[in-house]
Amino acid sequence: MSARPQPAHTHGPHSDGPLVEAVDLVKVYLRGDERVQALRGVSLSLPPGDFCCLLGPSGAGKTTLLNLVGALDTPTSGRLRVAGLSLHGGPSLPAAARDRLRRERIGFVFTEFFLVPTLSAIENVLLPQLWTGRQDRRYAEELLGRVGLGGRLSHRPSELSGGEMQRVAIARALANRPALLLADEPTGNVDTATRDGIMALFRELNAEGLTILLATHDQELADGVDRVLPLSEGRIADA
Amino acid sequence: MDYLRLALKNILRRRLRSLLSVLGVAAAVAVLYSLLEFQRGYERGLNQELEQLGAHIMVVPKGCPYEAATIVLHGGKWPRYMEEEYFGRIAATPGVGDAAPILMDAIIDPQGRDSRIFLGITDEYPALRSRWELVAGTGFSGPAAREVILGSTMAERLRLSPGDTFALRQDAAGRAAGKQDADLRVAGVLARTGTQDDGLIFLPLATVQELFNLPGRIVVVLVRAERLDSGAIEQLSDDLRALGGNMNIFPLTELVENAAQLVQATRVFVWAIAAVAIAVSAAGVLNTILMAVFERRKEIGMMKAVGAGRKDVFALIWAETVLICLGGGLLGVSAALLGSRATEWFLRAALSSQFAALPRTTLIGFSPPLAALCLVLATLVGMIAGSYPAWRAGAVRPIEAIRGAD
Repeated sequence: MSARPQPAHTHGPHSDGPLVEAVDLVKVYLRGDERVQALRGVSLSLPPGDFCCLLGPSGAGKTTLLNLVGALDTPTSGRLRVAGLSLHGGPSLPAAARDRLRRERIGFVFTEFFLVPTLSAIENVLLPQLWTGRQDRRYAEELLGRVGLGGRLSHRPSELSGGEMQRVAIARALANRPALLLADEPTGNVDTATRDGIMALFRELNAEGLTILLATHDQELADGVDRVLPLSEGRIADA
Repeated sequence: MDYLRLALKNILRRRLRSLLSVLGVAAAVAVLYSLLEFQRGYERGLNQELEQLGAHIMVVPKGCPYEAATIVLHGGKWPRYMEEEYFGRIAATPGVGDAAPILMDAIIDPQGRDSRIFLGITDEYPALRSRWELVAGTGFSGPAAREVILGSTMAERLRLSPGDTFALRQDAAGRAAGKQDADLRVAGVLARTGTQDDGLIFLPLATVQELFNLPGRIVVVLVRAERLDSGAIEQLSDDLRALGGNMNIFPLTELVENAAQLVQATRVFVWAIAAVAIAVSAAGVLNTILMAVFERRKEIGMMKAVGAGRKDVFALIWAETVLICLGGGLLGVSAALLGSRATEWFLRAALSSQFAALPRTTLIGFSPPLAALCLVLATLVGMIAGSYPAWRAGAVRPIEAIRGAD
């Protein structure tokens, strides 16, 4: 993949190496007495500017892998580095540093939008900036304009459609200018037209240099990305 | 967007529940403010009355002064007098600032409608009264003048003004005891003092001694000490006792101190009531916030996923709790002030058996330091009550919350 210019909405390159590098990741859950092996030795490498899709059925381990990459969870074994920081398999990273990584380098888009119902669209976008202490309302407005909601800044989630709510969630994910966007079934709760709109937006952001890792079971969605990693029963079938 | 605004929006999300929590805190703070201010007002009132009294030590003949006063008020003969020359010895005692001899007698109406109490005083008496002020007329023209000065209530009752004549008419028992009738010129009328002086008739001491056939007699000497500290008062009391003469020495500060000690004793009780009220309200707040944390678990998980640290979430939930308690505190102090008259009436009625002589001054007023103390306390309650829910919220694992796991 060719190197791309850094977009205005990211913190800039972390280093010369891959943005995400996972080697032989294993994740085992305990569900009662039962051991569930969600990931069985997954390796992947995401260079800056990549647009990659984890494609697989429900239970394949897509969300687990996304959560590990997003520093929301820790692998059972294996090595994982994100934005130059070792999340596993190296010196242990303090919780505060993991929080900072999520805050400054990673943006999340969930299937459920998780918007705060009492906050307006603009306030929801400003929320991640609250934790950095750098409030940039103009940039938040710009992001909402970018996702087509420039006229709905003061609308609350209850006054928005599902597609609009997901676009607010995408704007929120970009609020702190992340280098990596993790999207877990981002079109799971929207109609086909909205799905296409969201994918167009992702492609646009990627074209500006944002690295995107998308998890979906939807083949049509996967068709729109640069690289597809089929995930099945905790393994990448064909990298 | 800031923490406080976000916290306020979260509070308003469950308006009724938040309102009930605020009201719980407000009730506790209102109780706390009212009781503490009542205590402060009581102490303040006592000190004012002591200041009005002007005297620090009362010297009376041996025997129960209350019994003596009762006998006189019912038309009897004062059981014991002291010789006037004793006053000279008291006034000459080191440590005495001012001393005033008093002779008291009364003409009692058996129906209780027209009793008159006469106080024979000298020039020293006004110096001992902080509120001795004539609204009309002058003082006595001489030490044995046939004149009276009327307390404000008595002047209104008798409808007399300076220059008028007050007709002193003894009853049959008085005449039999050698007491005389007299027409006395009203020399002056006192300003209202709010004390017993308002209902008295003052005459020169020598005039009372002559008209009531009590030559050279007095019933009490009021003493103001040069120094007003408990050690000096105690020393002076001992010195006066050493004069002998079969007298009782009453340091009036002791009476006030006894009353103040009674107030102090109730302080524990007051704080206990307030502590229970505060504990109940704190439990209510804790419950409200804890429920909110459980309900917003996914939202908190999302906040952590987008970068909120443990401390950030803790601070947010803490801010919500403190806002509720601070709001309750402000409402409570306001309610206590608005309802102060009713509360004071209730407390006066409830405590009348324990506090025989509640000061007449307003007992519950606005005290900025006490209001500030209540608000600080409410904030502290919020910080303590909010600690556990805030800790629980801060400990939420984003992945579990987002998945919806318990």
